[in-house]
Amino acid sequence: MQTFIIRRLLAVIPTLLFTSVIVFASIRLIPGDVIDLMLAQNDISTGNDRALIEASLGLDKPIYVQYFVWITDILQGDLGRSLWQNTPVTEQLAATLPITFELGLLALMVALSVAIPIGIYSAMRQDTAGDYIARSFSLLMLAIPSFWLGTLVMVFPSVWWRWAPPLQYTPFLEDPLGNLGHLLVPAILLGLSLSAVTMRMTRTMMLEVLRQDYIRTARAKGLAENMVVLRHALRNCLIPVVTLIGLQAPLLIGGAVILEQIFVVPGMGLLLLEAVFQRDYPVVTGVFLVVGVAILTINLVVDLTYGFLDPKVRHR
Amino acid sequence: MRSLVCLLLAWFSFLARAEVAPQYGGDLNIGTVYVTLSPLSWDPADWTWKSNHDTGSVREQLFAGDLDKSVRKGGDYPFIADAYLPSGAIRGELAERWHWQDDLTLVIELRRDARFTERPGVMAARPLEAADVVFSYNLIDQSPKRIATYFDHIRRVYARDRHTVVFEFSEYNAEWMYRFGYGYYSGISPRELGNLDRKDWRNVSGTGPFTLEKYVQANAHIYRRNDDYWGTEAIAGKEYPIPFVDRVIYRIIKDEATFLTALRTGQLDILEAMRWIAVDHLKKTTPELQWNRWLGTSGTFMSLRVDQKPFDDIRVRRALNLAVNQQEIVDLFYGGHAELMAYPQHPGFGEYYQPLAEMPAEVQELFTYDPVKARQLLDEAGVPEGFSFDVQVCSCSPSNMDLIPLLESYLQKVGVQIRIQPMEYASFLSAMTTKTHGPGYLLNSGHVNPITTLRKSFVTGQTWNPSQYSSEYFDEQIRQVHLMRDEAERIKTLRRLTREIMIEAPYIWLPVGYVHSAWWPWVKNYGGELRAGAVRPGPIYSRIWIDRQLKAEMGFD
Amino acid sequence: MSEIVLKAPGQRSAILTFHERMLREKPLGAIGGVLFAVFLFCGIFANVLAPYGLNETDMLRRLQAPSLAHWFGTDHLGRDVLSRILYGAQLSVIVGFLAAGLATAISIVLGIVTGYFGGTVDMVIQRFVDAWMTFPDLVLMIVVVSIVGPGVPQIVIILGCLYGIAGSRIIRGSVIGIREQMYTHAAQSIGASTLHILAFHILPNVMPVVIVLFTTRVGAVILAEAGLSFLGLGVPPPEPTWGSMLSGSGRTYMYLGPWLALAPGLCLTVVVYAINIYGDALRDLLDPRMRGR
Repeated sequence: MQTFIIRRLLAVIPTLLFTSVIVFASIRLIPGDVIDLMLAQNDISTGNDRALIEASLGLDKPIYVQYFVWITDILQGDLGRSLWQNTPVTEQLAATLPITFELGLLALMVALSVAIPIGIYSAMRQDTAGDYIARSFSLLMLAIPSFWLGTLVMVFPSVWWRWAPPLQYTPFLEDPLGNLGHLLVPAILLGLSLSAVTMRMTRTMMLEVLRQDYIRTARAKGLAENMVVLRHALRNCLIPVVTLIGLQAPLLIGGAVILEQIFVVPGMGLLLLEAVFQRDYPVVTGVFLVVGVAILTINLVVDLTYGFLDPKVRHR
Repeated sequence: MRSLVCLLLAWFSFLARAEVAPQYGGDLNIGTVYVTLSPLSWDPADWTWKSNHDTGSVREQLFAGDLDKSVRKGGDYPFIADAYLPSGAIRGELAERWHWQDDLTLVIELRRDARFTERPGVMAARPLEAADVVFSYNLIDQSPKRIATYFDHIRRVYARDRHTVVFEFSEYNAEWMYRFGYGYYSGISPRELGNLDRKDWRNVSGTGPFTLEKYVQANAHIYRRNDDYWGTEAIAGKEYPIPFVDRVIYRIIKDEATFLTALRTGQLDILEAMRWIAVDHLKKTTPELQWNRWLGTSGTFMSLRVDQKPFDDIRVRRALNLAVNQQEIVDLFYGGHAELMAYPQHPGFGEYYQPLAEMPAEVQELFTYDPVKARQLLDEAGVPEGFSFDVQVCSCSPSNMDLIPLLESYLQKVGVQIRIQPMEYASFLSAMTTKTHGPGYLLNSGHVNPITTLRKSFVTGQTWNPSQYSSEYFDEQIRQVHLMRDEAERIKTLRRLTREIMIEAPYIWLPVGYVHSAWWPWVKNYGGELRAGAVRPGPIYSRIWIDRQLKAEMGFD
Repeated sequence: MSEIVLKAPGQRSAILTFHERMLREKPLGAIGGVLFAVFLFCGIFANVLAPYGLNETDMLRRLQAPSLAHWFGTDHLGRDVLSRILYGAQLSVIVGFLAAGLATAISIVLGIVTGYFGGTVDMVIQRFVDAWMTFPDLVLMIVVVSIVGPGVPQIVIILGCLYGIAGSRIIRGSVIGIREQMYTHAAQSIGASTLHILAFHILPNVMPVVIVLFTTRVGAVILAEAGLSFLGLGVPPPEPTWGSMLSGSGRTYMYLGPWLALAPGLCLTVVVYAINIYGDALRDLLDPRMRGR
């Protein structure tokens, strides 16, 4: 078991390295670098000393030097500063990460609270009308593009009832109700579209488990159906669900970019999108890095939990 | 009898006050003209055009628009133009008096009651001094990001005494009041800024009616009233200290459907810019809204690279203009909400603008639809049927993305095929600044002012000259215009130059659309004005007051 | 059904019997399959079926409600919406199948190589896959499309790589399971070459997973392209994709012409839904063991 944990932890390092290189290089490959963008802000451009601007931004050094500087800075906790606003990237992340995290958590709660009951219900009433309806609803949520559903939810209530979800963000500690009111609608939409996959998995795991012999034994013993379900079946089907949380993490953390845009949620998705469009290299690489670390951590925890629960995996 | 008169007087004055007296307090939520854009930089030395929009209610300038001359108050000026103030609509803001000591020396006396507010960690409260103006000028003049020739006309700026600033010119420049006065790069910051991180929004400080209380990236900027502000506003003959509202909040909303919804549900008090498409529906669902329609302050055009064949041939360029049905675009694409010809000069520039009806035939022809003649010209110039070229368009402009397939089908009818290449903003702009952009380039370019509109687009080597138009004659003419002190002469020359460049047709000239602004009736002392300086709405917002009673009566809190 | 024989006599009728079985046991899946087939048919024969061209503008006919002349009405440039929907189907079929095909190919190669060989190769590639999968899909797409520019080939390659690498995990899991089967050991002891084993024993038994993966990927690709269109990075105009029709003119003109959004929105939803239902039924019937994925 211990070797498994250690090996798993060590495996994270090369992954991180791969990640950082990919991210660092890719943003600089995009045509239209930040100097051009800065120069284009003005009416005239003749004679702007490009070299001066590059030096002032630290972009004149060769790329491997920039990478090395970036890595050493990170190890000291310094993620650099925005090229446009000079704000420390850590500050921008500190402002946006909790928001995205909160949105993701709410969405996850919605997804699970919708998916698991429906999944269990579907499994227990397999192939009945109820099963079909439940599964269809879930798949429908998956099939409708999020921006379309988001637009409908935003526009039509405002036309019919003069109501729209609040669009001003306030931090949770300042105004919990206002904060939740703002995030609730995008969280519900995000959660619903995630619920399909979770529901499907819950259902199939439940089906498998319900067929097991020990369930038949429990039934034969005369236990109430609910007890059977709760005590035995549920516990066993939670394993893949936990795995699933790991798989969904990129979606939750990295950004429901589209929903953030429609519902004016100042999360990391929007931060990243703006930074990409403005070629703000430090912000993009910083965000990617934090996202990467967070997701790797989640996957690590998930894998370790999985390994702990499933003896077959431990001994590979 | 006397008591009756007193009673009547009392009653009338009560009425007058009840109708007109402004209320203090409340929040003003605004979806500005740039509602989808976040601030790029708070640092004046970065020379970003948007800086004035974001900081213009905190940092003041030497000159600003005289809002008493607005149409709403019976004057002539709508205060819509991006960065142009007609000479009759300018007042001194921080400059109380100014005069020319000699041909090349400008002396400006600053007002004595302007004060910088206290800002913890930045500065203590203190009066404005000439040294601050000098500091602000030097800060941007010595920046590595400065536009190279922008302040060439100024040799030296210094403080003669505590309240007098002297500008020594090396040569006269007709744009002097715009370039450091009411323009984009004219904000006056306190000297203390020299020792601080200028990029940090918390260090934005000024003499203006508001302070920058909070900035939430991609969501909102919140400005709070400066209780010590020097300015006043006259309403119904009485002077009131301004600003009236407690807070002004710029809401940043990227999605069109969302900001329209925010207006409809009262989450926005003012929405300064929306396309015509949603207007009818909004008028039906929300009839209480007040409206203003104004002609857009950017021209739309497809630039053709005159440094590449076959666009070096004027017949080809004129042919493409004939092939596009601009009138149909006005009537049907813009639903009638557009002007056929409003670029490079803008109708809001008064005398500088010559209407299409008064233009010579060669200009008028470009706005007619004649595909037969277009094909003829193309044949003459040796352009074969099926000739194709790339056209780049920014995916950031929904309107242009809608327009380009229409242009494609017009050109197809004369045997020219365009290949559409959408690019996102940074790549699109960078293609132009690095001059690697395609033969066709669909661009919106701000009018700015009557001289700049020609200079930036058609002088050799300028960034915003996508057609690569280059003419020594034209360059020299533009240079001369800057030296003309007499406005009448400038008007005549610019009109001529405009005619000439339009005939040359380096662009496919396209109509300019109208934009609509809307606001709720509880927003008072406001008539849809947009700018009192280069992209600077600060003075306008500081004069608005909210009728909170009316707002509550209408069901909004 | 744990083994599939490669060259069975009367293979065609095997597919037919299979679908008959689906009709009996999973009627919803069969309906999904029918809709999927209709979509394919429309996509392939769009040029023949469409009454008008895909960019036939006529400003005088703009924003007309559905009528006999224009079953789905006209858009803001006077183009026939039905024709654009059909051409959009064609584009979705092309992009969807090509990208899903590329993804599946990548998944197969990566999954089989890492699943069968294990060891260092597996570890290294898995770390790379980990790194790849930490990136949020959409943002990665934004970055890459910004580099290479929008266009059908670029989008196919990006989506193909994205889903391919992520999907390799699933195939890898399946391959590991198969590898442990007895017959593989038997084949090895006979002395069959690795390539022979991979091609004739591993691959055919991974097929059920592959088929389901491919099917669901088509739906995912269509949705992903819609998301890119919303951000302005999808297939460039005037090519109609359902995503760009919905996110562009559909949303802008929804006050003046609701049919502009209804048509592509319904098509998108119905087709993706049908594909998923069909994929589900395929999975249930082909390989019950797969349910765990």
